[in-house]
Amino acid sequence: MKVGFKHILENQFEVFTLRICRYRYLVIIGVLIVAALAASGLRNITVDSSNESFLFPDDPVLIRYEEFREQFGRDDVIIIAIKGDNVFTLEFLNRLQNFHQKIADEIPFVASITSLINIRETRGEGDRLIVDDLLTTLPTNQNELENLRHRVLANPLYQNRLISADGEFTSIIVELSRFSGEGGLAVDDALSFFDETDAPTGNNEKLTEAEIHQLVMQMDELTRQYSIQGFEVIMAGTPAVTDTLKLTLQEDVRKFIILVVAVIMVLLLIAFRVIGAVVLPLGVVLLALVSTIGLMGHLGISVKLPTVILPSFLLAVGVGAAIHLLEIWKQKRVSGEQDHQAIASAVRHAGLPILLTSLTTAVGLGSFSLAEVAPIAELGLFSAIGIIIALFYTLLLLPAGLAILPAGKVKKKQPENEGEQDIINKALVNIASWSVRKAKPICVLSALLLAGSLLVAAQLRFSHDVLSWLPEEWPIRQATEMVDNNMGGSVSLEVIIDTGVENGLHDRDTLIKIDQLSQEIEEAPIGAISVGSTLSIAFLLKEIHQALNGNNPEYYRIPENERLIPQEFLLFENSGSDDVEDLVDSRFQIGRLSLRVPWRDTLEYSPFINIVNDKFKDAFGNSATYEITGMMSLFSRTLEAAIFTTAKSYAIAFGAITIMMILLIGRIASGLISMIPNLTPIAITLAIMQITGIPLNLFTMLVASIAIGLAVDDTIHFMHHFHRYLDKFGDVELAVRKTLLTSGRAMLTTSVILSVGFFVFCFASMSNLIQFGILTGLTIILALLADFVLAPALMSLRYGKIYPRETKQEETG
Amino acid sequence: MRLILNSIVGFVLLLFIPLAVDADNSALDIMTRVETRDDGDNRTDNITMTLIDKNGHERQRLMQSYRKDEGSTVWQLIFFLEPANVRNTGFLTYDYQEPDRDNDQWIYLPELYKTKRIASSDKSQPFMGSDFSYADMNRRVLNEWNFKLLGEKEVRGDATWLIEAVPVSSDVEKRYGYSKSVLFVHPELDMVVRAVHWLTNGKLKYLDISRLQEIDGVWTATELDMRTVEGKETIHRTIMNFSNVRYNQGLDDNLFTQRRLEKGL
Repeated sequence: MKVGFKHILENQFEVFTLRICRYRYLVIIGVLIVAALAASGLRNITVDSSNESFLFPDDPVLIRYEEFREQFGRDDVIIIAIKGDNVFTLEFLNRLQNFHQKIADEIPFVASITSLINIRETRGEGDRLIVDDLLTTLPTNQNELENLRHRVLANPLYQNRLISADGEFTSIIVELSRFSGEGGLAVDDALSFFDETDAPTGNNEKLTEAEIHQLVMQMDELTRQYSIQGFEVIMAGTPAVTDTLKLTLQEDVRKFIILVVAVIMVLLLIAFRVIGAVVLPLGVVLLALVSTIGLMGHLGISVKLPTVILPSFLLAVGVGAAIHLLEIWKQKRVSGEQDHQAIASAVRHAGLPILLTSLTTAVGLGSFSLAEVAPIAELGLFSAIGIIIALFYTLLLLPAGLAILPAGKVKKKQPENEGEQDIINKALVNIASWSVRKAKPICVLSALLLAGSLLVAAQLRFSHDVLSWLPEEWPIRQATEMVDNNMGGSVSLEVIIDTGVENGLHDRDTLIKIDQLSQEIEEAPIGAISVGSTLSIAFLLKEIHQALNGNNPEYYRIPENERLIPQEFLLFENSGSDDVEDLVDSRFQIGRLSLRVPWRDTLEYSPFINIVNDKFKDAFGNSATYEITGMMSLFSRTLEAAIFTTAKSYAIAFGAITIMMILLIGRIASGLISMIPNLTPIAITLAIMQITGIPLNLFTMLVASIAIGLAVDDTIHFMHHFHRYLDKFGDVELAVRKTLLTSGRAMLTTSVILSVGFFVFCFASMSNLIQFGILTGLTIILALLADFVLAPALMSLRYGKIYPRETKQEETG
Repeated sequence: MRLILNSIVGFVLLLFIPLAVDADNSALDIMTRVETRDDGDNRTDNITMTLIDKNGHERQRLMQSYRKDEGSTVWQLIFFLEPANVRNTGFLTYDYQEPDRDNDQWIYLPELYKTKRIASSDKSQPFMGSDFSYADMNRRVLNEWNFKLLGEKEVRGDATWLIEAVPVSSDVEKRYGYSKSVLFVHPELDMVVRAVHWLTNGKLKYLDISRLQEIDGVWTATELDMRTVEGKETIHRTIMNFSNVRYNQGLDDNLFTQRRLEKGL
């Protein structure tokens, strides 16, 4: 039944290919038109390396975060840290003022700038209440400087936010606009709002990545300009990190594509020694690549950090199918088949395995298309689509191309390869007999290795830390470290407290609870995280209460008289500071507690968030609802989604591929056994990760699924041929030998190309890509070894008794 | 060819220059008429302030106000009537027209039993937490702005002059927080009936005088609507309603003192 179906399919492949050869020019033009249409989407391609891009727009955590931003503005600020021996000198402050003004004048897309120059100072002087910018006028003498120093270092609002405890660091905090475009609306545009019925209102375009990039670039330029001895300027903060990642990503992608193409060219040239055999497969995969990325453009899907893998992956994997086809075509020609018939026969024989291996590879990465991490899902989906596109192009373009190629040339070159093939063949024969004869020890050893590896791999932990991907010596990493060490941190966690009633934040008990919680959180480290600074409406109330009471530090507290609270807030609202709206909504129903923490692996954030959550639960119970958001919660959600995704994807990939193997081989037991040589290399790689301290992150977690999809290709080729030869000759060792001799060489070539295709990631700047490349390349080599050694051994154990040795003697003898 | 074209364009531009100068002069003339018109004195009224946030939540504040011109200085005493939790909180303001002189302001918090003087150097600070700044509530100092006539535009059926006002210096810009304004001036009433202000922080403010009444012979804006807009979104809005407006109430100078402030309503 199955053989019948297979036969029909193979016939179809042959008939179809002959037709392609006949209409070769039409086919090529047709494919080129389709590819050009798809590739036209490349114009729409945008790059998004933001932390939000890791989550789907409808992810509840992201929605909550956007709502928070809508209410309170952006929490992902750029932090300009400035180191001086002493901040409180005329020279330093002058330069600071100048720098601050320069940022205001020259940097686009800025919502606000906060520094010692314009930070709010609320203080009482006699009967005067001063709520004003700290440095409306700069000090002029030593006395005033000393006075300023004293005031600044004593003000809790500035601690770890604008000034380090030792007074050696100060910072400028630059908040980005939420909306795209410069504020300088033209008169006509501005006036037109009057004519609209209920305008101005409506949805705004969010600030684009290009705009953020422009801002970061100009800011970077300015920091360089202003940095001198005694006024050393550095830039940190998540927008700067994101932008660096994006630049690195773009550079790396360019590098990889060139490298992979070069590697494939060289390897194809070595394997086939014919220009046509280089140009055709490369042309096919390059077309598939531009079609796939173009399709992303058409669908409005931007390139994100993990997408960086896609080009090299598609190029390396896509070329595999072409190699198998070319290899068999070469053999057919050697055995005397001519022109179109040779091509059609090649497709007839290689078509089905190519189809199946493409499907398994697509399933491997495609298993991520259900991921909750958006760019991983997109990578999964589009690499699966890309492989299918590459498959179609291979089956259409390759035969058409071969039909056009001058035939004679190929044949002449043929004998040259023979000698080389002999060496490889000899090696393959040796491997075949060794692995069959030593089947038991090989299997036992493999079993031990598999079990041991799984035990070790089970201890693997997840990690999400985009900053750690960048080289340690890069300025952005050093700047972040400096800010973390001296200014308390560059990442924010936000707790949104909803009292449920208007003026709920006039309630003294609520304010005291918020105040106590923030003190508690700030005082002692929670897990590995110590909070650099906190900010809430309680803070502001204490500040104004102290100022109204002659600056007496004893009054730095929530007023005892509850009725005074709304009056103090009213005073503050009328004082010219708009800081209130950064901390509460206009109804005083919803408030925000901001925590600034150092950049750490998200792994350490998750328990921190849980503890903060518990503290709020204990404090508020049912009296108020609260939600946790902020950049840190995005990281945390990404990590959580990654863990869940990995588990799901592995299950899907392994499950689906196992089923495919069973269907392909047509025997449940053999199908299951055939998964062992696929699983073992992956288990070993995971164990190696644990031993070398490489965590599972958004990139390394892909290794297993990619590897299973690729490793299984070799196994399919092996099992496909092995069972055919076993049925034919009834001898395991002979079947193994024949298998390795026929498809072994193609397996070897594709594995080499694939592994090298992934090893080029070693040239990446980002460590996560380097790890990803090494691990995937290594797994592919291990998988090839497993198919050469372990698969024959397993088959020998399984069929050794069914097909006893005597038969073998007759056949070979 | 290009040279000829440039010459023609240059010549045409040349023709327009005298007109532009004229237009500027007329803009200043218009603004002088606006700022010197009789806007009444010794005024008392009730202010109902409706504050609307971007989520559409409304808050209302009710105030009693007394206002008197003392030379070029404007004295204003305001008591809160509602909401109840701030009732009797009072503000006393001396708003000086001299460019380099800061406003004086005293606030009385009834629950603190103390008057505090608030020191502030800018006129861009919000008036009672609304979208209006203190500067919006008062006359413009003419020599702090360069005016330009942009044209005419209809507002609710009436033709108005469209006048652009740009601060003469960065100091002025900083003090008012406006990098530019476009004012719609009613030619017969000599009143600004609409305005758009470009804030230095990139936001825009839209003023609409939604109700005008002649009271005691003085044309008075009795409803003002100010929206603060960021991008295309109204992020906050204030509707200010004046009722029981009376002029020439013969307000005593003693009304505008700290002692009176502390006495409450």
